[in-house]
Amino acid sequence: MYGIEAINAHNGWAMAITGAIIVMIGLTALSTIISQLHRLIDLLDKRKDRNAEAQEEQKPPPALKTQKTSSPLSDLSRATENFRALTQEIGETFDLASLYQLFSQHDDPHPHLTIRSLREQGYLISAGQGLFSWHHPTNENKV
Amino acid sequence: MDLFFQFLSNTGYFLADYRHLIMLVVGCTFVYLAIAKEYEPLLLLPIGFGVIVGNVPFFKGFGLGIYEPNSVLHYLYFGVTTGLYPSIVFLGLGAMTDFSSLLVRPKLMLLGAAAQMGIYFTLLSALALGFMPKEAGSIAIIGGADGPTSIFLTAKLAPHLIGPVAIAAYSYMALIPIIQPPIMRLLTTKEERCIKMPDVERTVSRRELLLFPIIGVILCCFLAPASIPLLGPFFFGNLMKVSGVVDRLAKTAASSIIDTATIFLGFTVGASTQGDVFLTPKSVGIFFLGAIAFSIATASGVLFAKLMNLVMKNKINPLLGAAGVSAVPGSAREVHLVGQKEDPSNYLLMHAMACNSSGVIGSAICAGILWSFMV
Repeated sequence: MYGIEAINAHNGWAMAITGAIIVMIGLTALSTIISQLHRLIDLLDKRKDRNAEAQEEQKPPPALKTQKTSSPLSDLSRATENFRALTQEIGETFDLASLYQLFSQHDDPHPHLTIRSLREQGYLISAGQGLFSWHHPTNENKV
Repeated sequence: MDLFFQFLSNTGYFLADYRHLIMLVVGCTFVYLAIAKEYEPLLLLPIGFGVIVGNVPFFKGFGLGIYEPNSVLHYLYFGVTTGLYPSIVFLGLGAMTDFSSLLVRPKLMLLGAAAQMGIYFTLLSALALGFMPKEAGSIAIIGGADGPTSIFLTAKLAPHLIGPVAIAAYSYMALIPIIQPPIMRLLTTKEERCIKMPDVERTVSRRELLLFPIIGVILCCFLAPASIPLLGPFFFGNLMKVSGVVDRLAKTAASSIIDTATIFLGFTVGASTQGDVFLTPKSVGIFFLGAIAFSIATASGVLFAKLMNLVMKNKINPLLGAAGVSAVPGSAREVHLVGQKEDPSNYLLMHAMACNSSGVIGSAICAGILWSFMV
């Protein structure tokens, strides 16, 4: 059997048309899903972020507690001991640029502010010629 | 003296006939194309040498030939007749495939579906030429331009045609640079070939890459369960690659495992083309229909892309439709080269790869559909 007769006898038309439609539907569905996949992921991420933010807001602010119990000055005084240890490697006297670099290397998020506070509170004193040193309590006694 | 003449009568020189000689020439041609022209050498070299080995005449009954039970070649051929090698090749293929380009350009997946129309057209043609439905299905799948898929389906539907179908499929895949460009040029204008595809700014997240193989396997295998042996390993290989937690397994699947399967697949398919079994009028018909299937698949992809341009605001380059066949990465490379010939600043490769990888999925689905129709 040959030709159209053979195609009809073996149900060829139905097989060809159905097969073509199925593969088209399958890949169209897959294409539609993957085209929306990144949007769905973004949406879920945003929802997750929003939930996390809401949880953060519900928590009592821990910063207020510490502010009540300790003064910034006493914090700075305690921190100065650490700063002194850090600056041992650059000598007794040092310029502010080296100090700035040192604080940056030790992950101080605001080295400029820290230095300013240290100067304003009198922990850092001028040693002349653009150099600075730590203010030692013993020096004060001598004076 | 008798012993000497008896020995001579058992040698290949004495037993050879014209069919063996023809196939030896075919085998040598494949080896030449693989080495000198570098046409798909990974496939043509093992197949070509397999053709030479399979066509050395021998005395039947010694347990030497691929069709003789208990021969070494017969055991190696077991992986072809059971569909084992194609599944393993698909595992490695999945572990090698990067779906990022498809995920950022999902609409190009439709071109992979459109290019499968060649399969159904060839199914009708094969039926019209007098092939039985199972044989027609095996021949039609050549239009998918996917060697392992063709071998898999033929092993299930018409095992006696594995040799001609496999040789036709791999030959046409190797001949992509000759077959596809004229069809692409014939069906497109110069302006269309020069259309530049916009770059997609979006980067694909790891979660998208992880979800794709899972969604893909569920959606495609639910639709055509008969494609599980191909798409199951394919998406599993891809999940191993993108998960990043089993790098060792993914690398092995993408190298040693696929290479081993490719060697045995190519060699045994080549060896299965013994002149007396292979050179029949049916084989000639299969080669003829295979060429039609491949050409129609290319043409339907290109025409569908033109059809999409009628309704889409952002036009796509219709050349990309030709990459909808699953000959990875040969057809994508060819699309890119044809596009660059018209405009050297036009880079179509990544877009063509998106169509190509969807073509792999499409042809595996078609194999599943045809198998389920014929059972």
